[in-house]
Amino acid sequence: MHTRPSGSVTPGARNLSGASIEIARTMPNQMHPKASGSCVIGGYLGVVLLDQVSKRYGRGPWVLRDLTLEVSGLTVLTGANGTGKSTLLKIAAGVLKPTTGRVVRPASVGYVPERFPSDVRMSASSYLAHLGRVRRAEGVDVLERLGFVGSLTAPMSELSKGNAQKVALAQAFLASDLLVLDEPWTGLDPAAAAELVSLLEGRTALVSDHEGHLDSATRVDLSGGHVTIELSRVVGLDALEALEGVRSVSSRGSSVRVVVAPDRSDYVLAEALRLGCSVRSVR
Amino acid sequence: MIALMRYLAADVFRGQRFLAPLLVFLGVMGMLFSSDAGQPLEAYSGSAALLYPVTAWLAVVVATSEDAVRREITVVSAGGWPRVLTAAALVAVSASLVLALLAAVWPVVTNPHPYTAGEFFVGLGAHTVCALLGSGVGLMFSRPVFDSIGRTVLAVFAVVVLTYPLGRATPLGWVLDALGHNRISLSVLWAGVFGVALVSAAVAVGVRRT
Repeated sequence: MHTRPSGSVTPGARNLSGASIEIARTMPNQMHPKASGSCVIGGYLGVVLLDQVSKRYGRGPWVLRDLTLEVSGLTVLTGANGTGKSTLLKIAAGVLKPTTGRVVRPASVGYVPERFPSDVRMSASSYLAHLGRVRRAEGVDVLERLGFVGSLTAPMSELSKGNAQKVALAQAFLASDLLVLDEPWTGLDPAAAAELVSLLEGRTALVSDHEGHLDSATRVDLSGGHVTIELSRVVGLDALEALEGVRSVSSRGSSVRVVVAPDRSDYVLAEALRLGCSVRSVR
Repeated sequence: MIALMRYLAADVFRGQRFLAPLLVFLGVMGMLFSSDAGQPLEAYSGSAALLYPVTAWLAVVVATSEDAVRREITVVSAGGWPRVLTAAALVAVSASLVLALLAAVWPVVTNPHPYTAGEFFVGLGAHTVCALLGSGVGLMFSRPVFDSIGRTVLAVFAVVVLTYPLGRATPLGWVLDALGHNRISLSVLWAGVFGVALVSAAVAVGVRRT
């Protein structure tokens, strides 16, 4: 899977809000200590908990496997493309259901997707007013602080990419408990990007960030490295997929490629041999 | 829920895709009642048959008005898929009921045959049932049940076209048969129950798919 073992928080990282984060791999059916019992988690307001969450789309490869993540304060997700950052953010926000595992999130969540659509006919003021009524929340001056310069009454399809992104951010900041932001700096000018960092201070937020805007936030790297094991195909793919630590299994002719978390590679190798597979390569 | 419905309705209105089914409805209604359309209930059968595909089309427009990414924001803002899909279904049904009312009133004004209050309410009920059935079919095959608009259009078109030759084997057939024979039938009520169940099932299937 894409997580590092317990204690994977970047050394020396300081959380802007002084809150905590813990990420851990757990054995199947074993609850993370902080996840047991009721939904009062860690004593923090606005915490989001993903407990042994796994996700696959249809019958495709696993995008996330057995991820346990408890977050409050400002937390940044990093990792290479395709490591499941956007999927994790969608699960945390409530857009996607995990295939297995459970999610506990606060009531008021704000979400900014990776790409805000550019063909919206509604005006920015209408859009924000409607979503404010849906949330029963008062608007905040986020647009002004981010330096929005377009027309609030024109269709959003006429806005520049940066201004449309500011509208997307403004609707998310209507939420009071948790912000889930997927690459929120996309299209923003340097001044707006700096202002967004300032707006995030003291908030509980889960943010994907390739560009290092939030140096002082707690960081979670979803890449975490991996080991690829080539096996001759003796057992069914399901038996291999069920092994703890296996991120993906793909069939290639007469061989099977298994991608495994580094800390579980020895276990997977031993189990594969026990199942009658022969190992072609490990790298 | 009211705020959410208002937002979704405003988005449909701004999108203008609702104009196509609306104009088809108005155009065909104009043709149907441009001359003597026959006895009151019999005259209603044509407009009821028209309302079924038009409201299915309208439901598809409502369900797919927001693109997938903006729908994600709405889902998070509203607190989950069930609320958004329920609100979208209520907007689609509300718009369909407006058309049903218009279709029931139209011949009262234009048809040379006099309408009693009873005939009007039977006609209104029949049109309401057809609107519910059409909305249910449209919602059942729209996003999030089918992600692609191409599949949605094909599925809705196939179901709508297949419904007519099946005649009295379908709830729509029960309604059209009752109107065509100029009589009131309990089967219209059952068809209405089926329509409500279909809309509810479409929401439930959508929630399950997300």
